[in-house]
Amino acid sequence: MKNILLASAVCFLCSCAPTRFVKPLAKKQQAVNFSLGGPVIDYKSVPIPMPFITATYGYGIDSSLTGFASLNITSALYGNLQLELGATKQLLKQKGGIPAISINPVLNIIYRKNEARLYPQLDVNAFWDHNNGRSFFYVGLCNWFELQSKRTLDEDQPHHWILTPMIGETLVRKKWNYNIEAKMVAANVSNASVVDYKSLINKHGAFGIYFGVTRKF
Amino acid sequence: MKKIFYTSIMCIAIIALLPGCLRLDDNLFNANKNKISEYKLDDYTGDTDFRLDGSYKIPTNLVRIVPLISQASGEAAPTKIFGVYIGDVSKIAIDTVIMYCHGNKDHMDFYWPRAQLLANTKSKNHYGVMMVDYRGYGLSEGKPTENGLYADVDAALQWLKSNGLNNNRLVMYGFSLGTAPAVKLTAEPRSLTPSKLMLEAPMASAQAMVQDASGLALAGSFFTNLTIINAELIKKVQQPFFWIHGVDDSFLPINSQGEVVYKNYQGTYKVAYRIPGAGHSNVPNTMGFQNYLKAVGDFIAK
Repeated sequence: MKNILLASAVCFLCSCAPTRFVKPLAKKQQAVNFSLGGPVIDYKSVPIPMPFITATYGYGIDSSLTGFASLNITSALYGNLQLELGATKQLLKQKGGIPAISINPVLNIIYRKNEARLYPQLDVNAFWDHNNGRSFFYVGLCNWFELQSKRTLDEDQPHHWILTPMIGETLVRKKWNYNIEAKMVAANVSNASVVDYKSLINKHGAFGIYFGVTRKF
Repeated sequence: MKKIFYTSIMCIAIIALLPGCLRLDDNLFNANKNKISEYKLDDYTGDTDFRLDGSYKIPTNLVRIVPLISQASGEAAPTKIFGVYIGDVSKIAIDTVIMYCHGNKDHMDFYWPRAQLLANTKSKNHYGVMMVDYRGYGLSEGKPTENGLYADVDAALQWLKSNGLNNNRLVMYGFSLGTAPAVKLTAEPRSLTPSKLMLEAPMASAQAMVQDASGLALAGSFFTNLTIINAELIKKVQQPFFWIHGVDDSFLPINSQGEVVYKNYQGTYKVAYRIPGAGHSNVPNTMGFQNYLKAVGDFIAK
């Protein structure tokens, strides 16, 4: 049962994409991002990242606030409409070695026929521009919140806060950004399940790796 | 610039409107990863969960490969499948028989040591053991489906019934995926009504598996059309119930899967064995074969 397709669908859902916009876009700037990657699983004894695909559109509302919407393409292939609606707000600017701080409040929506789920998410990011602004490095904490008190069969839902630390690097070019990010997906949740997750912390979470490319307009 | 933007939006819209043809249902089945062209049983050299020494060997005259015909409801044509009977076929009319429903891997050769072990319960060939390769497994024709599982096990029960087995002497045993037909055909009997139910490492439901994998209380329908729901069906089972599960099962975790099934049983008698140090596929050998056989034998004889 430890099968790649199974994994591709139900791998920790909060693991399907890198952080959307760590650093806000310029005012009135638009961007389209595609990302590929996911938790690393054992596939035929070879560790590979799951090929989750997402597409995101972002718009610079002002120089410190970017709104965005994302579509999970992998989930769409299963007939689900899975969207993220959110914003990136920069709270602090970088001062020397002290990083800039941004937050991403996001609402994750997954819908199919008569079933729907909502997952609020709040990311907190610290980032450092370097290489004369041609790159920035970031670390962050992604927090997902499960609102359901019960899971199937009327059992108590064991996790309501799912914590995912991440680290990444973005190369900034005039029209394009290129991004790589590593995550410890759901680091506080047991990874015992039908999916053979690879983790850096044994029986919890899953190590994930993601690649993104962004076209700015 | 605009062209790229609008092309991207169009691509997203097209993908969003895709009918969503992918489902996880087929991924429940892991048949014939190691293909076979004939059943080798004792001589099978491929992967198995464990191996038995010669003391458990069954005389070849007490092992019979049985061709069966299975037809699930709504199917236009029957499917040819294969089972194996361990024991004296001529004594099915007087013997107690364990119907062993195997897991989701490969075929009967893979599970042969498990069936062979059960055939040593109490003493060698004290009980008959029937095992069947679900459609798409081993040499059985067709493609695995959830309804096919139920029909295929029932086809084996029909064969046992035709050889004289009655309800009182039928013990249903399911391991992992095999717990689905074991529970289904005990809760909602077809050809025979089992007198006892034994489950090793059962799943609670398809949705519970999705939720374990995602960490979230997702709807199972997001990813699967499977209706397996042992933890609800078990409420209909009144027959004595035996449950055994590895405490360290990282595939179908004991707390979110087996414990829920055990808790929901509302029948006359139940017994649980939670095996420390055992994972999903090594309960008998972690427990020790003799300890395992004693637990199985004690329950059947009760």
